[in-house]
Amino acid sequence: MNPAFAAVLLVLLAGILFTLPLLPALTELRLKRDAQPLEVIRQHAGEIRHFSYGFRTYITNLLEPLRQCTSLGTTARGTMPDGDQYLLLGRADNTRFLSTEGTTLTCQLVVAAGVDVVLPDGVTFAKEVYAAGEFTGGEENVFRALLGEKEIHVRRGTTVIRWAHAVGAFRAERDCDLYGRISSDHEIQLDSGCAFQRLNAPRIMLGRSGTQETNVDTETVLTPLPGGRRVVDKDLEIQPGEIVSENIVTRGKLHIGAGARVQGSVKSHEHMVLEAGVHVDGSLISASTMRIGRDCRVTGPVIAEREIAIETGTRCGSVLVPTTVSAPMIEIADGVTVFGTIWARTEGQVVPQR
Amino acid sequence: MMLYALYAIVILISVYTARHYLFTLNRLFGFQRHPYIDIDTAAWPPVTVLVAAHNEEKVVAHILTALMGVNYPKDRMLVVPVNDRSTDRTREIIDRFCEDHPGRIHPFHRTGGKGGKAAALKDAMELVKTEVILIFDADYIPGSGLIKQLVAPFFDPEVGGVMGRVVPLNVGTNLLTRLLDLERSGGYQVDQQARMNLRLVPQHGGTVAGVRLSALHEIGGWNDNTLTEDTDLTFRLLLAGWKMVYQNRSECYEEVPETWQVRIKQIMRWAKGHNQVLVTFGLELLFGKHRATLRERIDGFWLLGVYAMAPLTMMAWFLALALFYEGVAPFQGVIALLAFTAYSATGNFAAFFEIAAAARLDNTRQRVCLLPFLVLGFVVSVFSVSRACVDQLMAPITGAQFHWDKTERFRTTP
Repeated sequence: MNPAFAAVLLVLLAGILFTLPLLPALTELRLKRDAQPLEVIRQHAGEIRHFSYGFRTYITNLLEPLRQCTSLGTTARGTMPDGDQYLLLGRADNTRFLSTEGTTLTCQLVVAAGVDVVLPDGVTFAKEVYAAGEFTGGEENVFRALLGEKEIHVRRGTTVIRWAHAVGAFRAERDCDLYGRISSDHEIQLDSGCAFQRLNAPRIMLGRSGTQETNVDTETVLTPLPGGRRVVDKDLEIQPGEIVSENIVTRGKLHIGAGARVQGSVKSHEHMVLEAGVHVDGSLISASTMRIGRDCRVTGPVIAEREIAIETGTRCGSVLVPTTVSAPMIEIADGVTVFGTIWARTEGQVVPQR
Repeated sequence: MMLYALYAIVILISVYTARHYLFTLNRLFGFQRHPYIDIDTAAWPPVTVLVAAHNEEKVVAHILTALMGVNYPKDRMLVVPVNDRSTDRTREIIDRFCEDHPGRIHPFHRTGGKGGKAAALKDAMELVKTEVILIFDADYIPGSGLIKQLVAPFFDPEVGGVMGRVVPLNVGTNLLTRLLDLERSGGYQVDQQARMNLRLVPQHGGTVAGVRLSALHEIGGWNDNTLTEDTDLTFRLLLAGWKMVYQNRSECYEEVPETWQVRIKQIMRWAKGHNQVLVTFGLELLFGKHRATLRERIDGFWLLGVYAMAPLTMMAWFLALALFYEGVAPFQGVIALLAFTAYSATGNFAAFFEIAAAARLDNTRQRVCLLPFLVLGFVVSVFSVSRACVDQLMAPITGAQFHWDKTERFRTTP
């Protein structure tokens, strides 16, 4: 072989072998198939009602036909632009077609009811349900999503898979599984045995004995976020009835005795316990777990990185100062009221009073 | 002697390699900490948003428009554009926004004084009356929920500072912007979030960030003698026992440099500033009497040493060559073979693995193909950072003064 040719061949082969692994890179550089900025969530910003707003827009064109059905007392079927079929209910008693004695029925239609509606038991709704009037589900219904312009009342053993929003109150009887987002512009009431993930309403009552008054804690006013803090490098105990007027950070466990009051925020790196009747005017933060005893009052956010247990009679936030209770696992006893948001990333549960 | 120096550098490089793997595996398989991101309902405290702007006529209108559209209560948020000695139309644009949004924007026009962002922020503090301060550079575009997300961690009384995620906007411009997009992805999606997960030291980035006023007062305010006020702030807060929080889901668009010259200037400034902080706080962080935990001390020190590794790596290259020509073999036989193989299989790719994992976590598909080109960015960074370090070491002899190089903007869209 000609030495010059061999040299050229060697260089060529070496060049090919060097370039080969770069081919995907060169292709991407030239074609720019993935050269857009990362999609940053900018519009809904975590808004709990985002999907209900989207659904309301989705069914805008159905509202006028629904009104006609309601005024005529008829039922109508049709197809949405995306191919989904819908059912418009204009009379309270025409939901009977959904029930089949002794079997579980799955409804594959987007359902829109123009009047107060009571659904039969045991029906699975694979598409969204819209109610212009009062809405009452049947026992052990399964809903993909639910939007009610007035009150929504879901019966025992109901499952909501994605979201539900009520302009009026949202009430769930015992043993419901409420996955995803449940919101109300008025109030939410969950009975014992209900599991939940994310709840938002001006007032959330867990169990039947939550605060009913509409003007509770009206004396609580917005206070500026206080600065500075006292740092304790070990466990800390605040004595019963003691009044503490500063922010506290403890790098061990924290125990707040019954009836104590903290005029500031509290953080513990380990387990935090609030005994009965404790008042905290700021936030409660635990890098671990937290137990809040009976009849406590907490004004600011309540956050634990692992688990929160709240006992009966406790109130978090107020009508004037709504707040957030958040942890991966939340266990709330019957009789607790939260004003604002409860967010259990893994699972929340309403349990009977102990 | 040369041999032991080489061994020492190899050990340092190995530690950083292990660190890369630890962080990446934590992000892929570990427990992810986002303790404050779920606070969506609260009595939101008053907040001041400082927008650092020095000759920012190309971008300042965008950030002010974005800030006027956020979902934070209007009566509790004051925007303070810190117009630092601008000679272009920045002042005019800011003043126009003030007229259009009365009571919501209070400009701070600075016409003289010391140069640099820290000096400008320090002067602007006379307008700050709120406990929570957020800071943005003028080329950033915050989304509507970002302010609440950045304020939320301050409900924790231990939090002194907060940092959000930076996401490049001008990704598709050229090779450099695409490489910077990958680097940012690795740096934030993996590195910063892993440090948050592991309770180490997330770093304040000086933009898409916040600081607590009382914490700032406690540590003596902004340090205008540093080139990286963000790194300086991170470590002063740490030494004072305040926590820094990184929130990976608090994302904000930025503009990355589009030319290599601008990128080199930027990274040289970062290197000098970072090394300043290493010299100032390194030993105190490791051995001093303060509130940082053991893991924070160790991680903080490695974090401070990041930019010192570039000249050390170059030194290792020269040492290896010199030893080769001296006839000294640092490793021999099976040990050499195993070491070479192990490094080729793992160490060599630690940073690349981190970036690839970040691309995976970002759910992107094709951009990871550009990974081989990161070698180019790596080489440029090694030389630039090494040069910055040499400049810094020579400064007492040459008498060179540190000065602030503003990062040039490229945005042309209105």
